[in-house]
Amino acid sequence: MVAIRSEGLTKYYGDVCGIEDLTFDVNEGEIFGFLGPNGAGKTTFIRTLLGFLSPTAGSAELLGYDITDDRALVTAMEQVGYLPSEPGLDDGVTGRRLLDHYGALRGDTRSEELLELFTPPLDRKVGEYSRGNKQMLAIVIAFMHDPSLVLMDEPTSGLDPLKQERFHEFVRSEVGAGKTMFLSSHVLSEVQKVCDRVGIIREGRLVELETVEELLSRGGKVVRVRVRGEAPPEAFAIDGVHDLTIGAGADEGLVGHSSDSTTASFTYTGDYDALVAHLTGFEILGIDIEEAPLEDVFLRFYGDAPDSDGTGPGAAADAEPGTGSDSGGSD
Amino acid sequence: MFEVARYEAERRLLGTLAIAVGLSAFAGLFLAIGPSILEEVDFAQFVDAYPESLQTAFGLEGMGSLAGFLAAELYQFGFVILLGLYFAYLGGGVVAGDIETERLDLLLSTPISRPRLLLEKFAGLVPAMVLVNAVVATVVYVGAILVDEPIPLVDVLMVHLLSLPYLLVAAAVGLLFSVVFSQSSTAQRGAIAVVFGLFMLESLVTDTDFGALGAFSPSRYYDPTAVLVDSSYDLLGAFVLCEAAALLVVLALLRFQERDI
Repeated sequence: MVAIRSEGLTKYYGDVCGIEDLTFDVNEGEIFGFLGPNGAGKTTFIRTLLGFLSPTAGSAELLGYDITDDRALVTAMEQVGYLPSEPGLDDGVTGRRLLDHYGALRGDTRSEELLELFTPPLDRKVGEYSRGNKQMLAIVIAFMHDPSLVLMDEPTSGLDPLKQERFHEFVRSEVGAGKTMFLSSHVLSEVQKVCDRVGIIREGRLVELETVEELLSRGGKVVRVRVRGEAPPEAFAIDGVHDLTIGAGADEGLVGHSSDSTTASFTYTGDYDALVAHLTGFEILGIDIEEAPLEDVFLRFYGDAPDSDGTGPGAAADAEPGTGSDSGGSD
Repeated sequence: MFEVARYEAERRLLGTLAIAVGLSAFAGLFLAIGPSILEEVDFAQFVDAYPESLQTAFGLEGMGSLAGFLAAELYQFGFVILLGLYFAYLGGGVVAGDIETERLDLLLSTPISRPRLLLEKFAGLVPAMVLVNAVVATVVYVGAILVDEPIPLVDVLMVHLLSLPYLLVAAAVGLLFSVVFSQSSTAQRGAIAVVFGLFMLESLVTDTDFGALGAFSPSRYYDPTAVLVDSSYDLLGAFVLCEAAALLVVLALLRFQERDI
């Protein structure tokens, strides 16, 4: 069954486009990542689905309920959870009072269990909470009624890495129990870690819809390597290297300081073996390999002018550089 | 049911108590100094010095007795103006404040419809009105006995009971502003300006050729001086105020239902 169905969903704020013609389904039991840079329309989409904004055109369903039908939407909300990116929590009351409040409004079947995983200081006033504690309280509120579908907007913002990891594990276990999770993020690695499928939104439009493996094979890695001696750009120009920049001396990201060294930064989409084999020709003083930031992926796949030549998957495929496939290994 | 109303009222309890204590102190002050002032000052002359329209606006006609003195100082000023503006201010924050803090997003993600949410939030203001009235009524009734100038219990009850429709209108003006504007400061200022403006309108047009304009002012339908001095209760006025409050709430509901959050 389909948990979220979006049919040409469009929202304009006056003349300004929030989202345009979003058409896709999220299936029950999947973790769907909604990926895009800040301001791309992720929050607008979620808030339109939840009925906070009325669509300019198109329609959508949550768990089969029409979101433009107020009564249907209220019924749907019994089984829907929502985790905003900046949860609006009342500062003047304790976390416990707030939990009681939301428990009374939507039911509370599992806050105790959730509070073992996420531990906001319930007896303190929410106004005294750190950003992370607020987020944890919002997580408990979003899941306390055991919803079958949860919409999350940048859910791990404000959580420390340990809690982020715990949250990701939790989300995976929820899906294991048959729930559907929809999360928006601008962090590729987060989507990579937890999601089954990804929709990429840019300037309000859906520009990609694919599985995480497929996306990762195209994303590539950002490599920064510092080698001894002077090396010309051609020394790094192997298959799969893009956006190469060469700098002399130490790069602030790498340890060690030497005047007779060269730092090369590039995005790599080729085969790991080929890169490693090539680099053995240098004396390596430092190396950094990380996930390409989403913004870079966008720039490489779509150019910086949006809608320049159509933004469908075909356009992306044409622009796809390199031939090597990434194993998608975790790092 | 009524979880939101209860929560809102509870959250406001401290502020409500502060207002109740403040107005009680205000009442206590006038009860304490009232009798001696009344003895020493020739109020008839004092009142005559005012233009006639202001005599009515500030309820000065009955200043010669303790009841009239209280009606002018405590009720006309403390209730019609101060408390009216306070509830306009509270009403203005009901929705706009929650839009600003994005608290409304979380509330609307629960299975509660927009109309019910708005009605409950409005209803959450009522306990504050009742509490302030109950406390001040007690202070006034008991205080008047203590200073040996008792005021009939039914008059005290009526002056407070009849203030409720007036305060509901003030709060409903705030509510309407609150669903129109997204910023609570704008909504609150707008509501205060309208409630105060309407009060001034009535004061200025009374006994002029434009007297009919005063019909739009809520303060025309609540006259503490008439209640306390003449034991005259404007029940029709209270009914008009209730109707007006209901109309404003319905307008707010319609606007809230269709607007983007």
